[in-house]
Formats: sequence, structure tokens, C-alpha cells
Amino acid sequence: MADLTQSQAEIDLEPLRDILQRDFNPDDYQEAEELILGACQEAQSLYGWVPQPASQLIADHLGVSINRIFGLLTFYADFRTDPPGKHAMLLCHGAACFVMGSERLIGELNEDQQLGPDGRTPDGAFSVQVVNGCLGVCNLAPVAQIDHHHYFGHLNRERLAAVMQAIRDGQPVEDLDGVE
Amino acid sequence: MALNSRAAFESYASDLEKKWDARMSGSGWVISVGISECSLARGADKTLAHLRLALEAAGLNAEVRQVGCAGWCWAEPFVEVRCPHHPPIVYANITTDRVPDLVEAFKRGDVISGWAMGVRSDAPFKGIEPLDEHPYLKGQKRLLFERAGVIDPESIDDYIARGGYSAWIKALFEMTPDQVVDEVKTANVRGRGGAGFPAGIKWESGRRTQVWPKYVVANSHEGEPNVYKDRRLIESDPHLVLEGIMLGCFALETPNGYNYVGGEHVMAIKRFREAVKQAYAIGLLGENILGTGISCHVKTRTGGGAYICGEGSALMYSLMGLRGQPRTKPPRSVEEGVWRRPTVLNNTETYANIPAIVNNGGAWYAAMGTEKSKGTKLVTIQGPVERIGLVEVEMGMPLRELIFGLYGGMKDGYTFKGVQTGGVSAGPLREDQLDLTVDFDSMTEAGGMLGSGGFVVFDESVCAVDFARYLMAFNRYESCGKCTPCRLGTPALTEILDRMRNGQARQGELPLIERTSQHVIDLSLCGLGQVAPMPVLGMMKAFPEEFAAHINEGRCPAGVCPMDAGAAVLSISGAV
Repeated sequence: MADLTQSQAEIDLEPLRDILQRDFNPDDYQEAEELILGACQEAQSLYGWVPQPASQLIADHLGVSINRIFGLLTFYADFRTDPPGKHAMLLCHGAACFVMGSERLIGELNEDQQLGPDGRTPDGAFSVQVVNGCLGVCNLAPVAQIDHHHYFGHLNRERLAAVMQAIRDGQPVEDLDGVE
Repeated sequence: MALNSRAAFESYASDLEKKWDARMSGSGWVISVGISECSLARGADKTLAHLRLALEAAGLNAEVRQVGCAGWCWAEPFVEVRCPHHPPIVYANITTDRVPDLVEAFKRGDVISGWAMGVRSDAPFKGIEPLDEHPYLKGQKRLLFERAGVIDPESIDDYIARGGYSAWIKALFEMTPDQVVDEVKTANVRGRGGAGFPAGIKWESGRRTQVWPKYVVANSHEGEPNVYKDRRLIESDPHLVLEGIMLGCFALETPNGYNYVGGEHVMAIKRFREAVKQAYAIGLLGENILGTGISCHVKTRTGGGAYICGEGSALMYSLMGLRGQPRTKPPRSVEEGVWRRPTVLNNTETYANIPAIVNNGGAWYAAMGTEKSKGTKLVTIQGPVERIGLVEVEMGMPLRELIFGLYGGMKDGYTFKGVQTGGVSAGPLREDQLDLTVDFDSMTEAGGMLGSGGFVVFDESVCAVDFARYLMAFNRYESCGKCTPCRLGTPALTEILDRMRNGQARQGELPLIERTSQHVIDLSLCGLGQVAPMPVLGMMKAFPEEFAAHINEGRCPAGVCPMDAGAAVLSISGAV
């Protein structure tokens, strides 16, 4: 599984600049304001977080202040302003997952992986974000999504630990891929 | 190539129709695999790739195509097989390990009836029942989901071949904007986002306001923890939603349409953007559409994962690149919305209803459903039920039939305890209340709500206090923090429920909850704050004995709550 996050040192602004120049060409200031959130989404999906240089680039490109961008990044739950762990894990805590036991799972995960307050494992391999909404794949509840589109369903304590270990070791996790 | 007249569109459409018919009844094999977020989670992309390779290796000349989600999440990945020898068969749960056997069977000219979900025909075939007779589909009435799972959502040609954009043509050439609004009013289609406000009335007041420019916005945010109807709809039939937004623009005589999609719905965003691009390419969107002189532009905007942005005014602020926080009303958004201009905001599902209303007339639509709730409703049910997925039923279906009929009842080993209604904005219903029906009004008295159609069935292993705390914690986390009653009231309520869960409850907790809730309900600024305490009040009403056991006896009947955890853990409330 490819790493999706980049550390501060390896941030390369070129891809973001290309995307901004290609897709973010507002006709007026009004449209520029409408495009801020979308531009932040692009940065988030490129780097796994929105580093300050990226915010500055977006601000300069759209002609808004970086303060405005930071205000949005800290309001909306999708964005991170600190680098996450190597693998980004979304653990669904929607109502469907809740009735199938996600609350207990979160507690056990905290205990087993010794997650920090920012959801990082001590070795930096994972950043766990509990999703308050719904991942929309409720037939797999309780379910986690790791690094975009890799879903792991019907989780319990052992299965989740096995999945995480396999990803840590760089092992394929085909047989655990969400199918009973 | 952009079309420039009605005749050009109609000949384009009839060519596509002929091509579609030839393809679907011809001598070739057509194999369709459902690709959407829910099926990708179960490896449908791999099924598709394996099928392609296996068919090639077997020497079968087949067209392998992607289609959208058909709502049957429990059957993913599904594969539909059309061939000259037999009527089309839909197979369920075709994971990669089943692909070789399936292709082997094709080669023999055989079917594997055990894996089949149904056959698209009126009569059974080799022991496979007709698809429409399947218990999951029999009770459904699919208007919005008619094409879902049949057409390729990334192809405008498929949509047009199946009658798409005919309502747009009809409106452009045969109707006035007033007539469109009249049809929507006659149809009495009520807002599908939860509040149930009649769309026709909203459109009419939007038309009456003489301030320009005006905006038409679709709310595809859908941040609730148990609903995924809008994103499935966009993933499966994005052009239907787009056509609805375009008709809204036509009715308001404005060229400015928006679709605001929650940032986490990656595939829905991608497919909707693609749909807009295709509509521009053939000239259904843009300037001077088909020579009529009418212009229409639809833009896609994305959110950033804040539940509050489903609220109308918060959504508009978010669209304008600000923090999504609601404001006081009036002025209502039809007077002052996006960029302080008149804005008509409706739910995605509401817009998806419009093309059929324009085509068939409002009276046709109003003949479906109940007296006050017309048409159909997309419903999602989760929890330990036999079949999980999305269904479309006519308004007025009893919940019992829905849960124990269509969804197949509880899974083995689970006993029904209740069903949470209305997302996080209402209370649950107990077993004896299941004769209530799916519509906007009937559940209200019992403390439930249709909302946006998300239901969560829960069993005996779920504690009412714990569940109430979960729903309350959701509202606490998602409170935008602008107004005090919600910002301080939701944590206060969560804290009381935490005391109960941890065996620290005091006498008088229940009146305290009621009093605090009343403050939040009466004083909060926006609709979401005003309903935030509803799940707790609903749980208290539906399961009073469990609350009493926690407070008076210090025990949790379901055995879930950490009753002996003591005061020390009260400050730790998990990751949420």
C-alpha cells in the first residue's frame, strides 16, 4: 500500500501548483472565494494534510489571506494542519457501526495501539481518525477505511489488529479485504 | 460536438436508443458490474478486472461494462449477464474467487442458479425467480432508482438512451417557467432533506422575488451518521440530479446552478463533475442551449466534513468559502441566500424527482403516496438486519413491512429492540409502534421522524442510555459553536448521560435532562440545534425502564455501560 502522507521536509508544491493553474481559474473574486475549500481538498488529498506552504500557495493563487484559509482548515473536520502518520485510517463511528459495536472497538484500539491525543500510533505508522459521519458502506459495519478506498469490514479487536500489523509489515491484506 | 436545435437532440437521442436496443437484445454478450463506493469496498473493481481476463481467456467475446449501484449493498459485488441464450440474470456476491466458475458456466451455456439473485423476465428461468419477485424488490417502487444499476453513470449517452433529458427538452420548448412551478406545486413534492417543506412553494416565492441574480442550489451534503441515499443516487445516476437542478434553474429563470457535495463523498463528486462536463460537451448546458437563447451553468462545490453544513444557511456560507455557521432567519434564503441573493435550496433527492414530474405532470406524481406525503422515498436501513441497503418505496409503507419484509428482518441471533428514526434528530420507535408508516407526519407523535430516510435497527445488545449518549455526543461534536444553548447544552446533556453510564447518576437526572433539553430546543439558533436533544428525549420516552435501572439500581440491563467505572473516567469520552 503506497504511503499517502508526506512529511514536512518532502513537501513538493509543484503538483499543487499545476492543479491550481489547471482547474482553479476564477472569473472574479466571488468565484475565487467559492474555490478555496476545493483547493484545500486538493492539497489535503495530495499531501495527507495541508502544510503551511500549501496554504500560502492557495492564498496567493486565489487572492485571499492565509488567515482565512487557516480559519477554514481548523473548522472543517476533513482537514489536518499537522502531518499525520504514514497510513491514514478512518474508523467509522456512524450509527450503523455503533450498533454493531464500534464504540467498544474504539476503546480497544486506543488500548492496543496506545493512540496519542491526535490519533497517532507511537511508531507513526498510523493516524486514526474516528469518523463521526458515515463512510456509507454500512453492510461491512463496523468498518475502517485505510489510505483511500481500502476497506476492512466486520472488524473486531483481533481482526483490526491483524490488518494493522499486516500493513505495518508491508504484507498484502487481500484476504482481509472486507469480504466475509 | 454541441447540439444546436431540438431536432438535432431528438435525432441524437433516437440514434442512442436504437444503439441501446441493439446492444441489449443483440447477439453479443453484455456483462455489467456495479461499481460504486459500496461495491468497491467489497472489491467490485477486482471482480470486473478478473471477469475481463477470464472471459478473454475463455474466448467469449463479451462487452464488460460498469454500471452504478442498484441499492442492494448486501449483494455486492453484483454482475448482470445478458446473452443471446437466456434472459438477463443478476448474480449476487460475485467475488473474484467465484469468477472462474461463473465464466466456466457461461462457456458451457449453463447458469449457476444458486448464485443468482433473479432473472429480468416475468417467468422463472431454470429455477431462478424473476428479479421483480425478489422480496427486496417486490415492495419497492423505483422512480429515482429506475436506471440505477442499468446505465453507466459515467455515460451521458446511456442516460439519454433511457429517456434522459426529455424533461429538459420538454421544459425548454413546450413550457414556461410558471408552468414548471405549477407542476411542481401540483405534485406537492416535499423537501427530502428532512424538514418536508413543499418545494413548489419555495420555488414560487423564489420566482416572486425580483432581485437578481438568483441561485439554485442542491444540498448533497449528507453528513448524518446513518444516511447515504444522496451519494448513492449521484453515484448511480448523476445526470438525473443534474437534470433536476437544470429544471430548477429554468423555473427560476436563472443561469446559476450549484451542487454542494460533502467533501468525503469522493466518487459522487467525481461522477457529478463528469456528468456536468458531458452535458456541456453536447450543448445541454452552457449559453444559448439548443438555440433557445436560454443559458444554464451548473457548478460543483465541495464541503469539508462538517455536519452543520447540511443546514441551509450554513451550507451557503460554506459555499461562499466561509466557516459553515448558520445565521438567524429571517431573511429566509429565498430572499437572501448565496451572495445575499435569492436562493432556492433543495435536497438532491427532491431535485431528482423533478424530471419525472415535468414529463408526466404533477397530477401523476400526486397520485402516489399518502394524502400529505406524495411520491416515493429513498430509505436506508442499517444494523443487524438480513439485507442492508437502499430501497425506494412509495410513501405510506408500514415500517414493519419495510424492516421485516424488504430488509428480511433480523439476522440470526439478534432480537429486535427498536429502530432509531430521523438520523440524529429524533427518537426511536419500539416494536409495537412499527405499524406507523413511512411519511412525513405519522411518526412525529410517537417521537420519531422520517427525516432524510435513515433508520438504524438495533437489537437487545444495545443499551438505550448508551445509544442516547452516542447520539448526543455526535451532536456535541458537530455543534458549530456559534450559539450558546447548543454549544454548552449538548456537552451538558452528554455529561449527564455519562454519569448514568458510569454508575454515578443522582436522583433527579431525568427532570434535569428535560429542563436542559428544553433550553436547547427553545433557544438554539438553527434547526439542527433545536432538534439536538430529541434523540435523548425519544430514548427516555421509548425505554424509561432502562433509564430507571441505571439511576435507581445502578445497573445496565443490556450489560454495555461501564457501571463501575466511577467518577475517574468521566472526563474521558473516547475519541469522539
